[in-house]
Amino acid sequence: MAAYLLCLSAGGGVPLFTRTKGDLKPLPFPVIGSLNGVHMFASTHDVSLLSTTTVDAKVVWKVFHDSITLILVSRDDNASDSHLQQLIEKVFLSMVLVYGLDDLTNIKNIERFKKEIKVCFKLVDSLLDQADLDTFSDLTDSVDVVLGPENSILQEYLDAFVEAAASPYGCLLVWGKVAVATRKWWSLSSVELVLLSLLVNSLPKCSARDIPIFLPHGSPKVPHRLLTFQLVQGVEVCVVCGPTPSLAELQREVDRFWRTAFEYLKSSTRIHPRNFPTSILTDQSILGFILINRESHRCLCTVEPMEEDSSRQGKTMSIYRRREILRAFYKSVVRTIFTPPQSDMDSTETADTLHTRLKHKALETYIVSETHKCFAMNTNPYELYVLYSIHIPTYALRSTTTKLLSSLIKEKTMQV
Amino acid sequence: MDILVKPGSHVQWDWYKSHEGREVIMSIMHRNLHQRKVFGLLERPSFPPHLAPEEYRFKIFVCGKSGVGKTSTISKLSGNEVPSIHSETPGIQTTEVYWPVKILHEDKVVMFQLQFWDAGENALKKFDHVLPACKDQADAVMFVFSFVDKSGFEDLPQQMSRVIEPQDNICRFIMGTKYDLHAHSEITQRDIRDFEQQWRTPVLRIKNITDYRQTELRGDLNEVAPILNTICEHLWHREQILQGRYSIPVEV
Ligand SMILES: Nc1nc2c(ncn2[C@@H]2O[C@H](COP(=O)(O)OP(=O)(O)O)[C@@H](O)[C@H]2O)c(=O)[nH]1
Ligand SMILES: [Mg+2]
Repeated sequence: MAAYLLCLSAGGGVPLFTRTKGDLKPLPFPVIGSLNGVHMFASTHDVSLLSTTTVDAKVVWKVFHDSITLILVSRDDNASDSHLQQLIEKVFLSMVLVYGLDDLTNIKNIERFKKEIKVCFKLVDSLLDQADLDTFSDLTDSVDVVLGPENSILQEYLDAFVEAAASPYGCLLVWGKVAVATRKWWSLSSVELVLLSLLVNSLPKCSARDIPIFLPHGSPKVPHRLLTFQLVQGVEVCVVCGPTPSLAELQREVDRFWRTAFEYLKSSTRIHPRNFPTSILTDQSILGFILINRESHRCLCTVEPMEEDSSRQGKTMSIYRRREILRAFYKSVVRTIFTPPQSDMDSTETADTLHTRLKHKALETYIVSETHKCFAMNTNPYELYVLYSIHIPTYALRSTTTKLLSSLIKEKTMQV
Repeated sequence: MDILVKPGSHVQWDWYKSHEGREVIMSIMHRNLHQRKVFGLLERPSFPPHLAPEEYRFKIFVCGKSGVGKTSTISKLSGNEVPSIHSETPGIQTTEVYWPVKILHEDKVVMFQLQFWDAGENALKKFDHVLPACKDQADAVMFVFSFVDKSGFEDLPQQMSRVIEPQDNICRFIMGTKYDLHAHSEITQRDIRDFEQQWRTPVLRIKNITDYRQTELRGDLNEVAPILNTICEHLWHREQILQGRYSIPVEV
């Protein structure tokens, strides 16, 4: 998805930063000025301009706390506007996460702000990355998890470690996806869960971090500290805590608490890129899927459910294309055919979507194209979106999807 | 602490190219020998038993203005991918770098574990705990300037006095980034030499760019080896002084 993100001061329309995704020329200053101008013009006439569609692009505007205007310009993908509105909302919340609400809503010195706000670029850029990401959490508003056979053992290690950190908030990321987390961590809002994982994944690789963060819902004005430690390659443990312990103090405990978990940690990394155990068998024709649990705010996603043998490589659909199709399929279904998920973001739901006009709740939908087929199933609290190769008979889509869902959720020890 | 030792005083400079050196270097490289391995905190380089070197750990605080190239420098030195877009570092990030050297006088191999501490300028100003955490028990401070900013270079003495007290016993390094752009630089070789002599502090130079022609082991290592050797040699020298071993320093 090629896109522009513009951030301007709401009062004076001063450009604060722009981010571009994809191979795009920077927007000329007059264009930025007009985009902002038309929005200001509307608001001086008591009209709020939410979005517009051009021949090939879509533009959304949003002002936050009378302080900052965000404008997002993106290729029009015929999906509901609400996906872009959700995205722009998340961009703002990620700025809150790393910069704090007070400093965002009370900009005293514009030049200084421009320098300091660079601190959120990595996270904001990853929200624009879309199919370049190997996670789907930015889209599903639920955090990517892996179902590893080691998870129940690792949970004990994690619980012991967070106690040493005198913090109830901890999680273990395997290749950027949550393997296990403490009960308190799961009580964070879904956006916080999503943005914390994305933040850790978006930053340069390193051994340990101590990052001031402002939880957008839990504590937007008072900073906490996010401490992360890379235990083995591909595995990071994260803790959210207050002023103590210091990074060095907690790092000294890492060896004591995790040394005996070494083999489990190593083997947990091998779940990638399948993300669920090989003991769960899946149909040959499944190229990828997104499974969401709307209650737990978790999703299990994969675009490599099977090890491709090298002879087949090149003949099947590329990984990137699979992600792209799954994302597009999700967007075409959610908030149009399926009712929108409960979200903790105040979204401006546009009235003219199909699901509001339907007399009943749609529970299933599918598409058949020349290259692939997709099937979606909505069985509260689960939603499952599956990408199939073209070879599957259309009449089998429903039963195969049902079977996949039941085998993915029947495991009691590992749950999405 | 003023330390300026001649390259090769303690450390055998091209040892990593020797037969013995290669064997030890393998432990920090991927099997294809193109890339260095990343070690998690629970992981260590592994050696055949007859090679197992002594390990020494040092903490190095890297400081300098925002955008000067601190994060890129550490990525380069650790063999990680150098970020192509500038983004201010939030809070603190630490990176472990393993580098084996051959100590000349004692004819032994020592594995240095260098722990680089990087903090965003913004975080240092805004949050009180960041600077003390970075300075706490640091063995060295690396002051970073960029070859395209002369005023930053001229500001180094003030910066040094702001961060280190004379009694701190901390080793100092200066790192000049963007050396690839030094054709546009107003900082001459002469300026660098004078600075080194006046402040008794080594000035290192680095190009944090990915040169696609250098896909071989030699390419990456030839660039970072002299830098890591210099760092290790000075830390070793400091260690000897602190233990009272050198009455007459082998300085230049
Ligand atoms: N050409 C060139 N650019 C560099 C070099 N070092 C850093 N940069 C660029 O300078 C910018 C800031 O680098 P960064 O490491 O993030 O700076 P920090 O704020 O000090 O951590 C980035 O865009 C880098 O790509 C270098 O040696 N040569
Ligand atoms: Mg930085």
